Amino acid sequence: MNRFWKWTAGILGVIVVTAFIGLSVMAGSPKDAYGMVRYALPHMHRGTLKVGSDAPDARIVALDGVSRFHIRERTHDRPLVLVFGSFT
Amino acid sequence: MGDVVQIYEDYKERADFLTVYVREAHPTDEWQMKSNVKDDVCYAQPKTLAQRVVIANDFTKRFKFPLPFGIDDMSNAANDAYAAWPERIYIIDESGHIAYRGGIGPFNYKPEEARDWLAARYGAVKHEAPKPPANIAPPSAAGAATPAAPPSK
Repeated sequence: MNRFWKWTAGILGVIVVTAFIGLSVMAGSPKDAYGMVRYALPHMHRGTLKVGSDAPDARIVALDGVSRFHIRERTHDRPLVLVFGSFT
Repeated sequence: MGDVVQIYEDYKERADFLTVYVREAHPTDEWQMKSNVKDDVCYAQPKTLAQRVVIANDFTKRFKFPLPFGIDDMSNAANDAYAAWPERIYIIDESGHIAYRGGIGPFNYKPEEARDWLAARYGAVKHEAPKPPANIAPPSAAGAATPAAPPSK
């Protein structure tokens, strides 16, 4: 039994180290790999929307920081190209 | 964002556009990128709506960003509804349905797919690329010196 757990722990360790090395290569550095796991992956979701789904509405704040409007207010007689992003 | 601006310039007479600013992807207090330091785009993750407003205004002013612009509020309602973070493009048709769902950035963020959708609908349009701002102003003092820390509302 003791030998079993040693092997299990060893294999898991190899998997974790390999995954971290792979992520480091993909992200650019070990620091970036940590950043990706710690800060990016928890916030990245595919979501449930599909082509043909009703477009969800949400209240948006205008650049003046005071006015509000709804995304669906911007959908009229033409398609609405909705671009999400941030500065950094 | 250059590709999106070009698409906007090409199709703004045919389609409406809205950019929604969502939570920062690489703030100074989380996973900051060297490229952001080099480009002097250094902000902490906003904790208040006022901080988001400051950064959004810095962005639009610095790049003279021409697209209509809005800000997701601190409940992240738009981000959650559209699984938008860190960057993503959708097209909503006239009936209020999703007509195009882009991939999650940065790896699957492909503005050219949105262009293809518009081109399939309205024909290929290609205007001259807009000139970048002659003098890119640095971020405002509020945004750069003390990243995104205006008084909360």
